[in-house]
Amino acid sequence: MPPSSSMLCDGVNLLQADMKLYEFEAGDLFRQEGIPVPDFIVTDNPPQARRAAEKVGTPAVVKAQVLTGGRGLAGGVQAAESPRQTEEIARRILKSSIRGLPVNRVMVVKKAEVAREFYLGVTIDGLTGKPVVILSTAGGVSIEETAKTHPQMVVSRQVSISTGLGLPEAKEMAQEAGLDGDESTAIAGILHKLYHVFRKYDAMIAEINPLVRTVKGEYLALDAKMEIDDSGLFRHPGLKLSAEDPLASPLEKKGRQIGVTYVELDGEIGIVSSGAGLAMATMDIIGRKYRPANFLETGGGISEELLYNVMELVLQKKGLKAVFLNLLAGINPIHEGAKGIVRFLREHPTDIPIVARALGNRQEEIWQILREGGVEVVTDVATEKSVEYLFQLLEETR
Amino acid sequence: MSILLNRETKVLVQGITGRVGRAQTKWMLEYGTNIVAGVTPRKGGEVVEGVPVYDSVAQAVSESGAEASVFFVPPAAVKDAACETIDAGVRFIVVVTEHVPVHDAMEVKDYATERGVRLLGPTSAGILTPGEAKMGIMPGNMFQPGRIGVISRSGTLAYEICLNLAAAGLGQSTALGMGADPVAFTSLSDLLALFDADPETDLVVIIGEVGGTQEEHAAQSIADRMTKPVVAYIAGHTVPEGKRMGHAGAIVQGDMGTARSKINALQKAGVAVAEYPGDVVKLVQKKLEQYYPAQ
Repeated sequence: MPPSSSMLCDGVNLLQADMKLYEFEAGDLFRQEGIPVPDFIVTDNPPQARRAAEKVGTPAVVKAQVLTGGRGLAGGVQAAESPRQTEEIARRILKSSIRGLPVNRVMVVKKAEVAREFYLGVTIDGLTGKPVVILSTAGGVSIEETAKTHPQMVVSRQVSISTGLGLPEAKEMAQEAGLDGDESTAIAGILHKLYHVFRKYDAMIAEINPLVRTVKGEYLALDAKMEIDDSGLFRHPGLKLSAEDPLASPLEKKGRQIGVTYVELDGEIGIVSSGAGLAMATMDIIGRKYRPANFLETGGGISEELLYNVMELVLQKKGLKAVFLNLLAGINPIHEGAKGIVRFLREHPTDIPIVARALGNRQEEIWQILREGGVEVVTDVATEKSVEYLFQLLEETR
Repeated sequence: MSILLNRETKVLVQGITGRVGRAQTKWMLEYGTNIVAGVTPRKGGEVVEGVPVYDSVAQAVSESGAEASVFFVPPAAVKDAACETIDAGVRFIVVVTEHVPVHDAMEVKDYATERGVRLLGPTSAGILTPGEAKMGIMPGNMFQPGRIGVISRSGTLAYEICLNLAAAGLGQSTALGMGADPVAFTSLSDLLALFDADPETDLVVIIGEVGGTQEEHAAQSIADRMTKPVVAYIAGHTVPEGKRMGHAGAIVQGDMGTARSKINALQKAGVAVAEYPGDVVKLVQKKLEQYYPAQ
């Protein structure tokens, strides 16, 4: 059965759900588990890149270390004939950015003479809740593309999490992919190890694309990709070093600091919601006439302090026309949060209209606190009605 | 009748001595839930809101006859607690805990499936049978007894839609949260089948959201097997690709998992899909008229 495209990741996402590792970090982990990874040196300066090329040997390849796919097409992977050329190329790549991400480091590695390429990957099928192991004889290209255009070249298998992927099963997959003899044994061995890395590090994805056989008959992982489940990170303290997310905006980082999920968007209506689903629905409804300036979900930990900080954060966004608060008091003590909202507004008066819809336990008390603090309160049971009120207000103030 | 939970169900609370466990136990008891025991390792002998606390699940089950359990245990402890609970003979578990490692969720799902045990979550808001009982954190005052089954991936959005339904006189048979993690213990398709078999449910409302392929897969089983009408709302048409919206599973990748792909799949299966949450009520009314003309 060919894998569905949703199970595979071809690296087109600019922001990701989980902690992506840099190629050199994933490469180190792969090597520790016995996967053959070529010797590489990582550096942030061109003269060192030259010395690196002298060490690993030329011709060399200079590879931008950025957390996005499509590096090759964007000029982030280039071959160099000599150490001197390596330095020049490293200088150029280190000044560039790829899909909006500045390149801070490059990897220098000896160029391999490739006889054949493969794709090896392990990921998770969210529906069955099982690991999926994928092997393809079309390496070096997007596996999603291969699955669409040449499904017969992709072998995939759902694995029982309790028994894992044993060597015999890996061997069966290699044979199913049409490999034989030593090649089938070698590929199966690496696939088996890749599954082990996936399990050991709580990975959402572990991928080698391409794994190559060189003209000398060696097998080498020429790329290394891993994404680690954020929720599993506590088991891997060593991986936290690189957990800083270079893709988050300053406001998004601030959101993380105060303990909420804030996603910056390019619209003009700020949104604060007590839950993720409700926040998405609110974005959809506001999207009828305006564009959301952000997504913000407080989670279950609402307090006076938290909503004070939330107001400070949301109002920092430039170009805001209004802020809409959508608060459903389930387990959350929203009457406490309301005090934080009005305390912030008293200390930092603003001309931007703030409209709140709050329902649930102690709602009358919540409405009173908010109204006294200058917040427009809508008591309707449907979010749509409250948003319509907000739209009216914006029409009037135009 | 209802699915999975009623006023008779003997409920165990795990993590009952924690801040959240304690507070929620009080709310669940006030709602009428038949809580018979609590478990927190090394806290055996304590009493929380009149509920006896035990050190182990086996002990709690043998003393109280608990049949179902709700988890307020820390994420790192969920896997072992779930296996212990399954081994003790509990047949239904609701995991409210957020941030359960996905590999642990895979292991628990595998262990439970082998033994025929049903779980909701991780990150489930819980399950609530209006007027009877609730396990989890759903606020009781947002639901009314009735004949609509509700399955939601998000807690707050379930409250919003059930409030709207209740305002129109449409109560619920049972409302439950399946969670929005990358791996859900019980699939949307399986939950739909439970409501389809429940004689007290006339129609099912699905509250979905972007990310994953639960809705797409469920559309297939609705087309193949479902006998009752289904109405859906999918949150997140305005979510940009690659951005994660609070829920671990709410991330759009490629063409699957988008609001558009879910809506198309569901509509093809005959499901009435609301553009906005407030539209759910009129679609429910319309479907009920079609399926159950003037009774």
